[in-house]
Amino acid sequence: MSAAEGKTAGTGEPILVVRELHCHFGGIKAVNGVSLDVGRREIAGLIGPNGSGKSTLFNLISGTVTPDRGQIRFDGHEIGGRKAHAIARLGLARTFQIPAMFDNMSVTENLLAAAAEGHWQGARERAADTLALLKLEHVADNRASDLSGGQQKLLEFGRVVMRQASLILLDEVTAGVHPSIRRIIVDAIARLRERGTTVLVIEHDMEMVRNVCDRIIVMDAGRVVATGPFNDIVRNSEVMQTYLGRPQ
Amino acid sequence: MKPSWAGLLLLIAVIVVLALLPMLVNNYWLRIATGALMWAGLACSWNMLGGYAGYINFGHSAFFGLGAYVTALLMGDRLAWPFFATLPAGIVVTALFAIIIGAPTLRLRGAYFAIATWAFAEVLIQFASVMDFTGGIGGIGLPPFLDERFFYFAMFGAAALTYLITWALFERSRFGLKVKALRDHEPAAEAIGINTSLVKLQTFVLSAVTASVFGAIFAYWVTFINPKSVFGGDITDQMVVMVLLGGLGSLWGPALGGVALFVVNRIIWMYWGDTAFYIAILGAAIVLVVLFLPNGIAGLFSRRVAVSGAVLDKAVGNLVGGGPGRPS
Ligand SMILES: Nc1ncnc2c1ncn2[C@@H]1O[C@H](COP(=O)(O)OP(=O)(O)OP(=O)(O)O)[C@@H](O)[C@H]1O
Ligand SMILES: [Mg+2]
Repeated sequence: MSAAEGKTAGTGEPILVVRELHCHFGGIKAVNGVSLDVGRREIAGLIGPNGSGKSTLFNLISGTVTPDRGQIRFDGHEIGGRKAHAIARLGLARTFQIPAMFDNMSVTENLLAAAAEGHWQGARERAADTLALLKLEHVADNRASDLSGGQQKLLEFGRVVMRQASLILLDEVTAGVHPSIRRIIVDAIARLRERGTTVLVIEHDMEMVRNVCDRIIVMDAGRVVATGPFNDIVRNSEVMQTYLGRPQ
Repeated sequence: MKPSWAGLLLLIAVIVVLALLPMLVNNYWLRIATGALMWAGLACSWNMLGGYAGYINFGHSAFFGLGAYVTALLMGDRLAWPFFATLPAGIVVTALFAIIIGAPTLRLRGAYFAIATWAFAEVLIQFASVMDFTGGIGGIGLPPFLDERFFYFAMFGAAALTYLITWALFERSRFGLKVKALRDHEPAAEAIGINTSLVKLQTFVLSAVTASVFGAIFAYWVTFINPKSVFGGDITDQMVVMVLLGGLGSLWGPALGGVALFVVNRIIWMYWGDTAFYIAILGAAIVLVVLFLPNGIAGLFSRRVAVSGAVLDKAVGNLVGGGPGRPS
């Protein structure tokens, strides 16, 4: 049984509820009153121009950065302002936009570390499965810092797979990677969904968004400016202006 | 590290030689071997936090000295505890101080911790120098026990235990995975559920109590200690250089560096006596290691442990704040 089928699953409440979330850095209001819901087993895409606050929103939800104010409810828990490790243990996993490798550990150790807190039973077998799923077996004993950029993206995604989380946040996991690696990741996301996992992805590639996401959330200047199915969003020319009218 | 048969045989050979050493050499060389084992153990204890967790402790002598003073005070005329009973007491006292120093500072960037540990050692020197019950600057004596073999085996046992614990905990268990993960990327370690503040504190306490046990044995061995001889900053300096020389964050590096540097120290002492020259050698050793041997001696033998230089980058990054701390 996967974590997604845990105790509060099946209730009507969305797995993630964000209300009036604020966060600033100096004079920059990076997240300026964001409210959004993500339903269970949904794959939602978060898009928006550079600097619109997408990664900061991930940092706030995962506890990496502490919000100024606002509510975040995850799987029935009020998590706003909690420590990142406590939120992770509730079943939330994430990747970082700039790959966050454990550089001096091997690829296998990177995966095992993700199981060190929580589901340690059978971790070695799951690490082997994850290596196979991501086609990283041939570099299993390499140091993470020796991997190519694309392989690092894969490895970071692999750590998320190892967490067996109910909600995962993916920050541009396919940005700048070879199409073959992108294929692997897209397939793996589909597998996660079969497992009952909810996924929120930040993605610049509109083709990928169209293929993978059930629903799109558009951010601009620290706010959510639109949300809906891909086709509705594309038809809304004002939103597309916001999104595509600026350098990416 | 993958276990190799050659490595295992070498390890067994070293243990056998060390176990038989008292029958092979005279008391003079046995004392040198005792000191070498102590320094190998101390370097390993510093490496637990400095090498595996990437947090630089500039005041590790504080814990060596605490162990020494607790044993000296408890074995004194008034209390007259037996030696082995003083060890748990020293461990408890050291652990308490490590928690007091570490709990608030290990949450912050490495620089705060480095300064706090350095200051703590300085405070202890001053404290021990002015208090009556510690014997002030003059120091404090212990009941003499002149059995070189006892102290050799005590240091051997303590060093063996230190390396065994380090191997089991840092190289073979999931605790080690957590420690190395937070060293390499703290926000990512938190994101996979690791309570980084707690794991750092646990590592620090373990590192501190190990040093205190060596301090306790040392005090009983030399039968006389004073603030400089057990709290002195040069003790920490030596541990740091030994670890850098041997290989930061590797299991055997600190043993190699510890023995190598201690032997050099004794040779210099034989020819020139107690001289400031040794300090110059330490300084030169640091520069040479950083320039030409970034992966330490251990890095010369094994490709797998050749990460010391990168670990040093992490630790220094931790210290100055540019390094791993930034999410994106
Ligand atoms: N740690 C930080 N310190 C200071 N400013 C920050 C920090 N993190 C983000 N910012 C600023 O907050 C704003 C939002 O940045 P964020 O990274 O969330 O945008 P983004 O939508 O993820 O952009 P991109 O598509 O380029 O990844 C930017 O102006 C950025 O410079
Ligand atoms: Mg971003």
